[in-house]
Amino acid sequence: MQTVINVEQLSKSYGNLPAVDKLSLSVKRGTVYGLLGANGAGKSTTIECILGTKNFDSGTVSVLGCNPKKDRHHLFQNVGVQFQEGDYQPEIKVSELCEETACLYEAPADWKKLCEQFGIGAKTGNVVKSLSGGERQRLFIVLALIPNPELVFLDELTTGLDAKARRDVWKILSELKSNGLTIFLTSHFMDEVENLCDEICILKKGKAVFYGTVEQAKTASGCENFEDAYLMLSGEEEKE
Amino acid sequence: MKSFRTLLKNELKLNIRNMNMVIFAVIMPLIVLIILGFIYGTKPAEDGAAYTFIEQSFGALCSISICAGGLMGLPLVVSEYRERKILKRFQVTPVSPAKLLLVEFLIYVIYCIVSMLTLFPAAALLWKIKIHGSFLLFLGIWFLTMVSTLSIGLLVGGIAKNTKSASVIACILYFPMLIFSGATLPFEVMPVTMQKIISILPLTQGIQLMKAAFLGVPVENVLLPVIVMCAVTLVCFGISVRCFKWE
Repeated sequence: MQTVINVEQLSKSYGNLPAVDKLSLSVKRGTVYGLLGANGAGKSTTIECILGTKNFDSGTVSVLGCNPKKDRHHLFQNVGVQFQEGDYQPEIKVSELCEETACLYEAPADWKKLCEQFGIGAKTGNVVKSLSGGERQRLFIVLALIPNPELVFLDELTTGLDAKARRDVWKILSELKSNGLTIFLTSHFMDEVENLCDEICILKKGKAVFYGTVEQAKTASGCENFEDAYLMLSGEEEKE
Repeated sequence: MKSFRTLLKNELKLNIRNMNMVIFAVIMPLIVLIILGFIYGTKPAEDGAAYTFIEQSFGALCSISICAGGLMGLPLVVSEYRERKILKRFQVTPVSPAKLLLVEFLIYVIYCIVSMLTLFPAAALLWKIKIHGSFLLFLGIWFLTMVSTLSIGLLVGGIAKNTKSASVIACILYFPMLIFSGATLPFEVMPVTMQKIISILPLTQGIQLMKAAFLGVPVENVLLPVIVMCAVTLVCFGISVRCFKWE
């Protein structure tokens, strides 16, 4: 299987504080890869280093065979991104934000259809800031899918969504995956990770402490429940 | 090209919705015109002058929108987009910094054009102003003044750390230029030393030349200010694209 993201020995520190420490990972085409870890474990920094929006200290990163910093114009035709703290122009409407995003790509998806799929089809005339937290979260997933990407980054994709909306998002993502989309995500919901991810990597203070599948994580930790396994592997449990 | 048009259309809509520039770049110059009109009407600029006071002030009136857009609007919009991480969102799309900057730049060009297109008919209709000099020369200098002043704004927005420092720099540039460049206080009443100092401001040069072109007064040394304005434009554009920071 083709490798879509390849990261080797990635290190990044803020001053003396190491945020990511010699991280290596590779993501295969058509799979869902989950990057897990507590708040501050280095997930967002890792994503930003992979995307080239942050400079890293050492290591190599290749995305779809490109260097994300040098080839950004070419690379981002095929990559969709949802940031944890996505922002938008103060008075912009949903339709304007979607239109403005779609116009940047050579072959964008139909954003009206995507909005409908994600249950915000009736809200396209509204101002973005008037949407509820869950609706806004769904809008940002829509924006990440507008490029018709081969690869999509979703940072805490379902934070703020209710149970039903989360299930709906999972279903759509599974469908997209079966059409060949590769998904790189971070999440704090272990049911979501268990449901979606083919492979995971657990970060603890910037270091990878586990690589493998959800099942392997359960075996390695000796826990039946994945959330317990995660807590044990990420060392979160010791603190309590 | 399609992406450029769509961006321009949407960003312009957002900018108009914000209303700040509509007020400062379009309505304010009209109000100043009306005030001057009621005070001076069709009186000549001075005893025996062949042109009226309003004709003499027309170049300065046109520079209010240039000043508002270039020194307040543009730097603030660019730095606000950076601070709100809107630029960061654009960073993970194929769009180039030059395209984004050009879109924002053009929005303020549009304001300046609208301002001129409302000022001239209003002044011509109500106070019968006429161009005594060359209309083309006037337009050319107006254009140069506009792009050079706007490019300073682009540079400020491009390199300012955040909205706060952009707004401080903008104020430092905006108010002296607005007050001393001749846009509000007549250049002629200032002491000679002061005239010399403020002659460095591109806006001062621009207003003096626009006035001369409008009134048909011969000007010495047009070349130098024209070269300065062109150089300012190129340098500011170059640095703002080169040193562009998404975050």
